[in-house]
Amino acid sequence: MSAVGSKLEGARMMYPGTLVEALGLLENEGTRGILLAGGTDLMVQWEAGVRAAPERIIDLSGVGELKEIRAVGDRLFIGAGVTHRMLRESAVIQRGFPALAAAAATVGGRQIQAMGTLGGSLANASPAGDIAPSLLVADTKVVVASAKGERTVGLEAFLIDYRKIDLRDGELIVGVEVATLKEGEKEQWRKLGPRAAQAISKVMGTYRGKYEGGRVVSFAVALGSVAPKAIRLPDVEAFVVGREIDRKTLEEAEALTSSLVKPISDIRSTASYRSWVSGRLVRGFLEHLRE
Amino acid sequence: MVNGEERTVEFPPARRLLDVLREDLRLTGTKEGCGEGECGACTVLVNGETVVSCLMAAGQVRDGAEIMTVEGLERSEGGRLLQRMYQEKGAAQCGFCIPGMIVSSYAYLRRGESLSDQTMRDAHAGNICRCTGYEKIMEAVAAAAERWPRSELAKTESES
Repeated sequence: MSAVGSKLEGARMMYPGTLVEALGLLENEGTRGILLAGGTDLMVQWEAGVRAAPERIIDLSGVGELKEIRAVGDRLFIGAGVTHRMLRESAVIQRGFPALAAAAATVGGRQIQAMGTLGGSLANASPAGDIAPSLLVADTKVVVASAKGERTVGLEAFLIDYRKIDLRDGELIVGVEVATLKEGEKEQWRKLGPRAAQAISKVMGTYRGKYEGGRVVSFAVALGSVAPKAIRLPDVEAFVVGREIDRKTLEEAEALTSSLVKPISDIRSTASYRSWVSGRLVRGFLEHLRE
Repeated sequence: MVNGEERTVEFPPARRLLDVLREDLRLTGTKEGCGEGECGACTVLVNGETVVSCLMAAGQVRDGAEIMTVEGLERSEGGRLLQRMYQEKGAAQCGFCIPGMIVSSYAYLRRGESLSDQTMRDAHAGNICRCTGYEKIMEAVAAAAERWPRSELAKTESES
């Protein structure tokens, strides 16, 4: 029970209207604060005491630049403030990155989707976050900025470890740049949880690949909730590329996946179930690719 | 604006919207279930979109924003229709989820999405009923949809 007068009562809030203003507040010691976007993770963590209640909060919800989705050459820029709802409903995302739209549609329910953001999901860096696996198969670069300038870092390097990301003091996540689905490529997002909505994943993942002339031309696959962070499976990818997707390939890819992932047991699932189902997921992805 | 009335209230900016509604504005129709965004009992509308008020800092609601809580339902024809249909179909069991549930119903019908099992369930997916009385709730929403007043359809973005 949280009564009024709880942990956040003393916090001061600041409301930048532009990215430059937000970076200025972050730069200045007197106004530096914790960045708040949709609040769907932070508000819970603050109230539960998992994270210390902040003295100052910089509310990013009024920064329009962070809510943009736009083409950059043949890639897409997606702002950190884009909500799951926007990801789900954007025609550009549905066409160019359908797995991401599908993933966003499985986060929480309508309310959480309207509030939570892509940048918030990356910053929270939960291994069970539903956004990172799809981004991992799309050659994603994370754009971060401070008052001193911008830098770009590949998502695999950005996700350092369990709840640890490559974001330094004074920096915020501006957005991500992703490769869109190319001609002939297919992709799919799948999530296993106890129910369809309002459930945190037991295991989930995304693949993007191309199958042509009876051979796997390309195959990228990423899973979540099986390691301290969302991961690609390079050994499985290398194994299937160049092969025909037949019974033998499916069985071997499934077994290889199950043997490679090293999940843990927790309140949501067991290590052995997660290993087994990871193999089944990858097998399902290959079947989908072949269809 | 809260339920169509301009309200001025002072609060620490990071106080949860739920607490400002219940404690500062004494609108106790909105319930706190889990307090962590899982159950949807505290659902209200901010500028027409459903949010869980337990996870929103009240300071994130901009001046001039429109908030609608369950108390605002009876001010509108659609809201009164929904209340009647919820009663008629016996949609409430223990009733604790209903203030949030019916706000999600109202938002859904105002959006005017094509009525289907899929869209109806998706619109209420963030509201959990622990009596598991979902069937009657869906029946009530479907019944309200049949005679939903045109004047209660939200303007689409191109119109506004």
